[in-house]
Amino acid sequence: MNRLDLSTPWGVTLALLPEVVLSGWALVVLLVVSWRHQGPEDSRLAGWLSFAGVVLSGAALAALWVNGTQADGLAQMVALDSFRYGAAAIALVSAGATILLSLGYLERERLLAPEYYVLVLLATAGMMFLAGAEDLIVLFLGLEVMSVAVYALAGFNRASAFSAEAALKYFLIGAFASGFLLYGIALVYGATGTTNLSLAGAQLAGKPLGPMAALGLGLLIIGFGFKVAAVPFHMWAPDVYDGSPTPVTGFMATGVKAAAFAALVRVLMEAFPSAIGTWQPIVAGLALASMILGNLVALAQRSLKRLLAYSSVAHAGYLLVAVWPGTPAGAGSVLLYLLAYSLTSLAAFGLLAIVGRGGERDVTLDDIAGLAATRPGIAFALAVCMLSLLGFPGTFGFIGKWYIISAVVAEGHYVLPVVLVLTSVLSAGYYLPVIMAMYMKPAPSADRYAQVRLPAPALGAVTLTIAAVLLFGVWPGAVLDLAGRTGTTLTQTGVPIAGP
Amino acid sequence: MTAFLQSIGYGQWILQALLLLPLIGVVPVLLGDERSARRTALVITTLEFVLSVGLWWSLNPGVGVPQLVTNVPWIRSWGIAYKVGIDGISLVMVLLTTALMPLSVLASWSYITTKERGFYALMLTLLTGLVGVFIALDMFLFYVFFEIMLIPMYFIIGIWGGTNRLYAAIKFFIYTMAGSLLMLVAIVVLVWKVRSATGELSFSYDYLLQNASAVGSAAPWLFAAFALAFAIKVPIFPFHTWLPDAHVEAPTAGSVVLAGVMLKIGTYGFLRFAVPFFPQVALSPAVSRLMVVLAVIGIIYGALVALVQPDIKKLVAYSSVSHLGFVMLGIWGMTLQSVQGALMVMISHGFSTGALFLLIGMLYERRHTRLIADYGGIARVVPVFSLILTVVALSSIGLPGLNGFVGEFLVLLGSFTAFPWATGIATTGVIFAAAYLLWALQRVIFNRLDDRENEHLLDLTPRELVVMLPLVVGIVWLGLYPKPVLERMEPASRRFLEAAAPGVGPSARAALGASAGRVEVGR
Repeated sequence: MNRLDLSTPWGVTLALLPEVVLSGWALVVLLVVSWRHQGPEDSRLAGWLSFAGVVLSGAALAALWVNGTQADGLAQMVALDSFRYGAAAIALVSAGATILLSLGYLERERLLAPEYYVLVLLATAGMMFLAGAEDLIVLFLGLEVMSVAVYALAGFNRASAFSAEAALKYFLIGAFASGFLLYGIALVYGATGTTNLSLAGAQLAGKPLGPMAALGLGLLIIGFGFKVAAVPFHMWAPDVYDGSPTPVTGFMATGVKAAAFAALVRVLMEAFPSAIGTWQPIVAGLALASMILGNLVALAQRSLKRLLAYSSVAHAGYLLVAVWPGTPAGAGSVLLYLLAYSLTSLAAFGLLAIVGRGGERDVTLDDIAGLAATRPGIAFALAVCMLSLLGFPGTFGFIGKWYIISAVVAEGHYVLPVVLVLTSVLSAGYYLPVIMAMYMKPAPSADRYAQVRLPAPALGAVTLTIAAVLLFGVWPGAVLDLAGRTGTTLTQTGVPIAGP
Repeated sequence: MTAFLQSIGYGQWILQALLLLPLIGVVPVLLGDERSARRTALVITTLEFVLSVGLWWSLNPGVGVPQLVTNVPWIRSWGIAYKVGIDGISLVMVLLTTALMPLSVLASWSYITTKERGFYALMLTLLTGLVGVFIALDMFLFYVFFEIMLIPMYFIIGIWGGTNRLYAAIKFFIYTMAGSLLMLVAIVVLVWKVRSATGELSFSYDYLLQNASAVGSAAPWLFAAFALAFAIKVPIFPFHTWLPDAHVEAPTAGSVVLAGVMLKIGTYGFLRFAVPFFPQVALSPAVSRLMVVLAVIGIIYGALVALVQPDIKKLVAYSSVSHLGFVMLGIWGMTLQSVQGALMVMISHGFSTGALFLLIGMLYERRHTRLIADYGGIARVVPVFSLILTVVALSSIGLPGLNGFVGEFLVLLGSFTAFPWATGIATTGVIFAAAYLLWALQRVIFNRLDDRENEHLLDLTPRELVVMLPLVVGIVWLGLYPKPVLERMEPASRRFLEAAAPGVGPSARAALGASAGRVEVGR
């Protein structure tokens, strides 16, 4: 087990190696594309270069993780624990899959500006900062780096009014959310005199939560609520998800959500473990509202993209159920569910991008009718995605839900798990019609899906994610243990430490 | 026979083979061409049946605990294992499943004309799921099998079903899933309650059964969750509304498997899990009374609704509600006769209702209508068909000498002491059964032949005879000489009664829970 002294520049650089590699690589790619941004070849070059950057950053992350690197003394700015590594890994998986899915998509939709990939890399670096922040200021920086890049990505299709609308809405709401978050940070600082999460936790421990700290906690939760699209802070999600280019939607639904949830869990468990009685009812309320409303509204959707958008609101609800216990098992189940949901959603949005043409705004259930007859592979993959989102045994989604239920039941609480499964039954009402349309309805014409093309990179990404969804669905042992361990590391640092 | 089976180590691999063979069979079915898929599926399902027959001899008939147990850790840190084994109850359910499956495949021979590869691949997957449900001895494993078989059946109804198939398929899926997800929460709660009492996290059925008393005051809720899942599956009135839709819309093979096997998973669940886990709740006067009343309502209501159906397939579907009511009555009768009777009804309902659905399917293939009014007097045109239909209908009614009689008689006999009134009313269900089936029989094969289209119906082909004869033989054999089957089931029934009887202390339950003939792998 390696120990890094975070008070030296060298130590901090090593601790941030994955982020440093990724940000530096993003700048290199930016330089490359400033000379080469003409045609499809240049876009492709930038895409593969960026993918290589993700792989390199992943290697750096793996090096930190495998060595079990820990902070020598107090983690000042950035955490060095498995929880950060796990969350960063999900962000990287999301980025890698998004890049692979975008390669063919951007060419087909004629969005040939290679800066797209630079934005993806920068957003990913922001996510990793956000997920690993041990200090509220770093957390805010990470959030902004991520958000600004994703605002630009949402409006990347300049020819589409909907894309512009999505970007503007996302930006306005995002700025609003950042405001809440910043106010919350300021109040927490005012109450504790520190922005370090563990130190704030130590300050707050052992006494009732004062009004200033309580207000700060509330504002932080609201800020995160906007970012993860939990009801009632979800209003932006459907329009933004709908208007953005589909791979970007997948990126938003997975990477952004994963990073925001990781940061939320860290803040709640490290800075506010003593206030668990205060935030548990709030989280439970948000979870209930998100699960019920998200699933009910999704039932009424015809457009697949909006359907997945509302379903992502519902999944934010499931994840909030996992946040609720505030235990290592709970934190582990957040990460596990994020991984399960990310893998599934990336494949689902990727497939949706493939099936649609000229912007998938209007891909409805009728537009995939009879898909299975001519494109059995695509239909099978999308069916697996739907079953995994539904939480059906044999898929990773089931393992995720089961872990959440276990983590909450272990605390002796039953209302949230029961609502979780009941709303999951509701969700069958909109996931199954997708399968039904593909397999049980006739295609409008024999050559309806002749032009549906699965480019090789997208094929690779979809195959890998689907294989992972099925593999972890049947052999979840290793990944369950890993998630369990990541959860434990979080509270170890959360144990109040005396200030310097 | 026993010596031969032992010499090939049958007991060690048979359960794994029964689960794997159909899955392996999916590969040649999918890789072959459309027309040969049915042949491959027939070979695989027949092989599966032949393999499974050996179970009859390899089971020690005097022992009630699960035998031929295989236990391999699956998710070690969570105490989840691949643990399978069979007792007398599992044995007959597995044999019923493997016996009906080749017949269903053969019955689909000319019925299924589109996407045959997909159909037979789904049938084989379904076979694995069904066998798995009956042999799983780990709650996690059981839950996975319980859910996973929904998928093939959902596709079978939704792709190859009748005109209203989409509605029927999604209704079937959502109903079943609603119950089973609550059961999932109940399983997790049970496991954690047991863990906090004993310190061990385990999903093993035997372990949970020994320590189920640890759930304490949560027992009523947990029982309710288990009971709801199984009540929907059976289905018990008022959760039966998915059944007529699913049975009527499903293709013949789907209806046969649904009625013949899948409904029994519900009653099997009561026998195996819901009642033994929470006997204090299940057998408390209030719950007993409720279940018996619902069972009797099911018997009478199912029969009355069957009486007025114009569609013969719907008539048979509602008759299932009625028959399954007898099973529920028998389970709550809580005597050896009533439980054995309930099991016999489960088996004979599989035979006779399966046979009825097959015959209706054959009729439908010829005339493309299932309305009783469209037929009449066809006994003169299709004598063999009519003879078999009459035998099967009489067995379903419960005519002495045929299989239906044995089970229903035992149920009524065994339940009378505990619930005289309910049993008395249930007896009228037998009379109603005679009414709706004989009346239907009269309108279909007797009366005057007044529709010209019926004059040229073809009688059963040799293939169809091959489908029907084993069932007819089974119907007569079970009716005349049910003793061997009853003997095999008796130790397991006794174990159920002892485990469920109130007042049995934890030590006695521990002794009951220990498994014999264990094959430990990887420990």
